[in-house]
Amino acid sequence: MSKKRGLGFYADIYRKILIQDLKSKMSYRADFVISTFGMIMTNLSGFVTFMILFHNFPTINGWDYYHMLFLYGFSLVALTPVQCFFDNNWNLRFMVQSGDFIKYCFRPVNVFFYFMSEVFDVKGLGQLAFGIGTIVYAWIHIGIPVTPLVILKLVVFLFTASLFMIAIMNIAAATCFWIKGSGYVMVIMFRFKDFAKYPSSIFSGVFKVIFTFIIPIAFVAYYPSLVILQPDNVPLLSWLSPLLGLIFFWLSYKFWMLGVRKYDFTGS
Amino acid sequence: MNPRRLIALTRAGIMESLHFRLGIFVTLFANLIYLVLVYYLWKAIYDSSGTDVVNGMTFTDTMIYLILATALFNFLEMFVVWDMSRSIQSGKIVLDLLKPMRFRIYTFWSYSGSHVVQFVLTFIPTFIVVMIVTGGAIKMGINLLWFVIATVFALIINYSIEMMVAPICLYTESTWGINIVKETIVLLLSGASIPLAFFPEKVRMIVDYLPFRAVYDIPLTMLLGKNGSDTPEGLLKMFGLQLAWILILTVAGNLFWNHAVKKITVNGG
Repeated sequence: MSKKRGLGFYADIYRKILIQDLKSKMSYRADFVISTFGMIMTNLSGFVTFMILFHNFPTINGWDYYHMLFLYGFSLVALTPVQCFFDNNWNLRFMVQSGDFIKYCFRPVNVFFYFMSEVFDVKGLGQLAFGIGTIVYAWIHIGIPVTPLVILKLVVFLFTASLFMIAIMNIAAATCFWIKGSGYVMVIMFRFKDFAKYPSSIFSGVFKVIFTFIIPIAFVAYYPSLVILQPDNVPLLSWLSPLLGLIFFWLSYKFWMLGVRKYDFTGS
Repeated sequence: MNPRRLIALTRAGIMESLHFRLGIFVTLFANLIYLVLVYYLWKAIYDSSGTDVVNGMTFTDTMIYLILATALFNFLEMFVVWDMSRSIQSGKIVLDLLKPMRFRIYTFWSYSGSHVVQFVLTFIPTFIVVMIVTGGAIKMGINLLWFVIATVFALIINYSIEMMVAPICLYTESTWGINIVKETIVLLLSGASIPLAFFPEKVRMIVDYLPFRAVYDIPLTMLLGKNGSDTPEGLLKMFGLQLAWILILTVAGNLFWNHAVKKITVNGG
C-alpha cells in the first residue's frame, strides 16, 4: 500500500464512518427530533431579532432589510460545514484529558481526518435549509440576476467563507493541548459567529484589523458576500478571501496537528 | 431550615468555583470584547437612524442594557439541565435525593456559591467598566438597590425555569436539544438579545406578562429608571410580577418534579 492515499480512499472511509455514526444516532430518535427543532428555533430567533431591529430602524450603515437578510442567510450557510463536519472539536478536550485521544494516533489514517469524521452533526442540515431559504427570499427581493456565473460565484464564495469559521474553531479546540480551560475559549469564539451576520463596515480602527485578520469574522459572510451583493464595486479583500480562507484553514490544521504531536510526546 | 446548613453549601460552592479562576478571567475578557462588538453595532444602527432616542432608549441606554444583560446572563447561568442529566446517567442523583434536605432547596443552595463568585468577580468589574465607558450614564441612587433586589428575584425565577425544564430530560433523553430550546426562548423573550423596548406594541403586550421578562428586562429597566420604574406604582407592578411568577413557577415546578422523580431509572446498582 502506498504511503500517500488518494481522495477516493478518504471519501470511502468517511462514508463508512458516517453510516455508523448515523446508525447510532437513529437509536435516540427523540433526541434527534428535539435537537433539530432546537436548531431551527435558534435560527428563527435570529430571524425575529432581525425583524424587530428593522421594525425600528430602516437601514443599518446603508444596508437595507433584504441586503441584511442576504448576509444573514449567507452566514448561516457558511456556518453549516463547521456545524456538520467539525462538531467533534467540542469533544476534543474531554478526549485529551481522559486520554482516550490516543486511539486516534494509532490508526493508519490522518489523525485530523479520522477525528473529525467520527461525528457528523445532523442538526446542521436544518440550519442549511433555513439559510438557503433566507438567501433565496432575499435574492428575489433584491432582484439579483440568476446566471450560471453568479451561482458559481455564490457556491465558491460560500465554500470560502465556511473555511474561516472552521479555522477559528480548530484553533480554539486545539488550545486544549496546552491549557485546561479551553472550553471557555471555544464558547467565546463560537459566540463571535453571531456578529458575522452584520456588515463589518461598522468596525473602525484597531478593531477592524482584529476582526478582519486576527479573529476573521469579517470573512465569515461580509467580504465573500460582497462579490454577489455589490458586483460593480468588489473590494480587493473579497477577491482574496478564497486564498485567505485556505491559508487560515491550513494554519489551523498545522496548529491542531502541532498539538497532537505535543500530546504524543507526553507519553504515558 | 437551618441557615447554617445552607451557608455551608454556599461556602463549598464558592471554594469550588474559585478553583476555576481561568474561567472567570475568560468570561470577564469575553464580556469586554462583547462590549466592543455591541458598541460598534449599535453605534452604526443609531447613526443610520438619524434620531438619538428610539422607543425611549438612547444609544447609551441600549448599550448599558445589552452589555449588562450579557453580564447578567453569565452570572445567572446555571447548568441545572446538564448537571441533572449527567447525575442521572452516573446515578449520583440517588445520593442527592437521599440528602436530609429537599432536593430543590439543596440544588439551589449548592449553586449559590458560584453565583456569589460570578457576581463579585465578573459582574461587578463589567459593571464598573460600563460605568466608566458610558461616562456616568448610570444613575447612582436608590435605583441600584432596586436593581439588586430585582436581580435576586431574577435569580430565583431563572432557577425555577431551569427546574421546570430539567425534568423534561427525564422523559426525552435529549439534553442538548431541550437546553438550546430553553436558552433561545429565554434569551429572546427576556430582552437579552434585543431590548424589549424595541419589540412591536402587540408582541410586547404578551411578552410583558411572561416570566422571561422578569429575568433580564425588569432588573435592567429598574437600573436605567425606565418604563415608570422610578415611580412607586411602576416599581410595585414590576416586583409584583416577579413575585407572582416566583410563586407560580415554584408550585408548578414542585408538582412536575414530584411526578418526574418517579420516572427516574438509574442503571446498575
